[in-house]
Amino acid sequence: MSEKAKRSYTLKVWRQRGPKDKGRFAQYQVSGISPDASFLEMLDVLNEELIKRGEPVIAFDSDCREGICGMCSCVINGQPHGPDNGSATCELHMRRFEDGSTITVEPFRARAFPPVKDLVVDRSAFDRIIASGGYVSINAGNAPDGNALAIGHDTSEKAMDAAACIGCGACVAACPNAAAMLFVSAKVSHLALLPQGQPERDARALAMSRTMDEAGFGNCSNEYECEAACPKEIKVSHIALLNREFLRASLK
Amino acid sequence: MTLDGKIPAGAMADKWDKHRFELKLVNPANKRKYDILVVGTGLAGSSAAASLAELGYNVKVFCIQDSPRRAHSIAAQGGINAAKNYPNDGDSVRRLFYDTVKGGDFRSREANVYRLAQVSNHIIDQCVAQGVPFAREYGGTLSNRSFGGAQVSRTFYARGQTGQQLLLGAYSSLMRQQAQGKIRIFPRRELLELVLVDGAARGIVCRNLVTGALESYAGHAVLLCTGGYGQTFYLSTNAMASNCSAAWRAHKHGAFFANPCYTQIHPTCIPVSGEHQSKLTLMSESLRNDGRVWVPKKKGDPRAPSQIPEEERDYYLERKYPSFGNLVPRDVASRNAKQMTDAGRGVGETGLAVYLDFADAIARLGAAAVREKYGNLFDMYHHITDEDPYKVPMRIYPAVHYTMGGLWVDYNLMTTIPGLFCLGEANFSDHGANRLGASALMQGLADGYFIIPYTLGGYLASGKLAAVNEGHQEFRAMETAAEQRLKRLLSANGKRTPVEFHRALGRILWDKCGMARNAAGLKEALREIPRLREEFWSDLKLSGDADGMNGALERAGRVADFLELGELLVRDALNREESCGGHFREEHQTPEGEAKRNDADFSYVAAWEHAGEGKPQTLHKEPLAFEETHLTQRSYA
Amino acid sequence: MGSGFFSSSIGRKIVVALAGLLLCLFLVVHLAGNLLIFAGAPTFNHYAAALEHNPLLPAAEIGLLALFLLHILFSLKLRWENHRSRPVGYAESASKGGRTPGSRTMLVSALLLLAFLAVHIKTFRFGHPGDSLYRMVMTWFSNPYYSAFYVLSMAALALHLSHGVQSGFQTLGLNHPRYTPIIRALGVAFAVALCTAFAAIPLWALLAGGAR
Repeated sequence: MSEKAKRSYTLKVWRQRGPKDKGRFAQYQVSGISPDASFLEMLDVLNEELIKRGEPVIAFDSDCREGICGMCSCVINGQPHGPDNGSATCELHMRRFEDGSTITVEPFRARAFPPVKDLVVDRSAFDRIIASGGYVSINAGNAPDGNALAIGHDTSEKAMDAAACIGCGACVAACPNAAAMLFVSAKVSHLALLPQGQPERDARALAMSRTMDEAGFGNCSNEYECEAACPKEIKVSHIALLNREFLRASLK
Repeated sequence: MTLDGKIPAGAMADKWDKHRFELKLVNPANKRKYDILVVGTGLAGSSAAASLAELGYNVKVFCIQDSPRRAHSIAAQGGINAAKNYPNDGDSVRRLFYDTVKGGDFRSREANVYRLAQVSNHIIDQCVAQGVPFAREYGGTLSNRSFGGAQVSRTFYARGQTGQQLLLGAYSSLMRQQAQGKIRIFPRRELLELVLVDGAARGIVCRNLVTGALESYAGHAVLLCTGGYGQTFYLSTNAMASNCSAAWRAHKHGAFFANPCYTQIHPTCIPVSGEHQSKLTLMSESLRNDGRVWVPKKKGDPRAPSQIPEEERDYYLERKYPSFGNLVPRDVASRNAKQMTDAGRGVGETGLAVYLDFADAIARLGAAAVREKYGNLFDMYHHITDEDPYKVPMRIYPAVHYTMGGLWVDYNLMTTIPGLFCLGEANFSDHGANRLGASALMQGLADGYFIIPYTLGGYLASGKLAAVNEGHQEFRAMETAAEQRLKRLLSANGKRTPVEFHRALGRILWDKCGMARNAAGLKEALREIPRLREEFWSDLKLSGDADGMNGALERAGRVADFLELGELLVRDALNREESCGGHFREEHQTPEGEAKRNDADFSYVAAWEHAGEGKPQTLHKEPLAFEETHLTQRSYA
Repeated sequence: MGSGFFSSSIGRKIVVALAGLLLCLFLVVHLAGNLLIFAGAPTFNHYAAALEHNPLLPAAEIGLLALFLLHILFSLKLRWENHRSRPVGYAESASKGGRTPGSRTMLVSALLLLAFLAVHIKTFRFGHPGDSLYRMVMTWFSNPYYSAFYVLSMAALALHLSHGVQSGFQTLGLNHPRYTPIIRALGVAFAVALCTAFAAIPLWALLAGGAR
């Protein structure tokens, strides 16, 4: 195996000093990038250079770097988490970008995700939505035996499909309307499918969708960009389920 | 100072029950008068905060990420152990206890481990009740699997995302308490100082990572749930923000640091691909069930794996351990990979990898069967390396994964600082010198859901704490200390970035205090690390300022602490003249090359006390007694 | 149903979806009547007269108007909120594969259809057919500009429905792993078939000259 040829790129990165700053694109050249480097590692390399030049580093969110914590974000060449399907920005590799190409990097944009700095946005609206009902009210110490409730294999798997959401917000970023339906529906669905979620089922659907509306997200227009952009490939069938849950609760 | 583990007297099985009875209770009406500060929101922190709020305490929660849900517990893949014995295969509290003590190579406290096994079953019940979608059988009962070579099937799991599901369960309980006003959450905060008043932990100073402001918070007790220190090695499977700073600040204020040399190195990670590498990705060790590990017999063999004929391959694990073969424990597999690459027989561009070959399994079972078992792992590998493991062997290499050492705590999870508790991976307590698979999640949640709610009450009820608020002079003093430290970092104006120093530290530790250690190497490291630390403070280069979000400044602060903890790690490894669990001293091995313990001299917890800036820490020993288990030497030959 | 239903995004969407799907049913009925034109002037005029003298017609027209208003006004409200939900747009935006030509152009097709509706109602609801609606239709469609506008509008309707039908089902929560792909395909097929059939009349009138 020979040493893989290093690559160079032109980066157009959104720089914004703070929430009140207007923000603008800045252009940078990076070179010596291995095709095996991840996209965020490429940004690391650029930040190292910026430090040496005495310029402030680019702020971007990142933590686990294995696609599960949901911290990383960025819209890369117009696509949340970049061009790959079913993966987060931290799982994107530079081999996906041709040597010498120009890459545009922007933050997730939505009224409900106000900018913090550069590529970092505030996604606490998601926490507020969960706090309004994305739980089962059970205090530690109260639980019956784990096998006291029989839950079918398929039911459990379906609930797990929905529960796999990492709360990154790519669904909002990708949505033409900046709607949060996929995120909200994943949690509503997860708990509506399981017997543990039944007692609070109606209240949950109503409260979580109300909090979603209040946070300033847009309305779903069933265009399914969210599903296409979701790093965990959560299905829009959960949105239909949320609609059903909402209708069911409203009709009572 | 003598270390008192506060282990209750009486029969092992009755200790926890008896202790719970003896612990004083806080009157239900009084609980709301107590403010509890919880730092970190992984499994331990989230579960503790939620449980304490449910009891009525006022809880303030601090996390370094933008949301409590992102703590690194989320990345745990495999599962969580419990002694449910649902499969009827002979498991029991006693067996889980015994396996954990033995797996820890007899370097943990029996009473703690027994309690862990006792509460393990409640954890599963609690998580199920929260809606955690554990895998189920077709009849609707919970599925179990055998994990990490255990003889019984006691591991509960939710696909390969068990940590995520357990954390989201704890997070949902946390958010519920927030909605009820019992918890306030402070995200994007990093602890910079612990505040002691009259010798007890009464608050913290943290930096708001968005505004850069230093903020003080007072409380009646502080819980550190801040995870392990694996990132000291620069490259590990930990997250980018994982750090040791909270624990290290506490250490400098008087909390003893125990067994820092016990680090776990996981054998099946994707190898480093170049200088740019920022973290390592773990693949489930279940891969070793069907994959065969090998290297070329010839040194520096340049041929592609398919060009190397069978007789020129060395299936070294099968050769050396005929009965266990590729399924030897983590530490043995890791150490052997290192021996091979040290001998120049590693593979891949860097030479720091060995093959994990599925050709035989594919020939025997068919590609479809292999895909069904390992499809997502193969896809992940393919995605990261751009190589198809169905066609060419995987390349794997060990990586730092978990740290068993941490802040010393007594049976109540309290550190040597009154009012400062430490939970989860951040403490040293339950895994001894080696942690078994699927036990980390169990310990984090045991501490948070079922231990701290009792022991914290015992502390609060047993003495009168003076009223202290953020106006106290100690908060001013600590804010000043934190501010000066930040100024000092920013003013160095040298040439090297924090990452460069971190990488250099990682290289020293990995080479000299990694999978195999010897006195000569450790002594060298003890010379190199202080030198590197000096260079750090004189040659550090940062950009930006402290008035807002500044990733470089954050990293620098953490690296400064890694540079100090790294030295203690080496000192502890040098002190421990034996091999046990994740700590392998080349001088202490059996003729077969296995770890050789020295129970006569080292059957103790090494707890290190900060002795002042620039001075070597003082060693305190907590002797370990083994009443219920019989000390045996591991053998896999 | 709580008062929050109509102020919630999902509630409003359900109204839009229900009204939209009911309008689709109306279109089917409308088309069935229109197609009688191929049966010749007497049959078509007879049908027109029967419809006009049906005592239920005013109620049906009011219902229809209500459906249109609900569909349009709630859509506009949702659309306005969507407009506000992303104050700073992307410099670059690329689909990852969810959007369709129909979904991208919902607003444009809706505006065109609104214009069409105005012209259509003015022509055929408030026009004066005299004793033969058949002749009136033929006269209008012999105008190539009018016919072209009609055909273009039907194309817009097809585009609108190609997204709208499946979207309505999704909003009402009617999603199933087995049936949803069928619903999506049938939605497009329905849109194309319906609008082709509507457009066939002006084309027939224009090209074949009808049966004078």
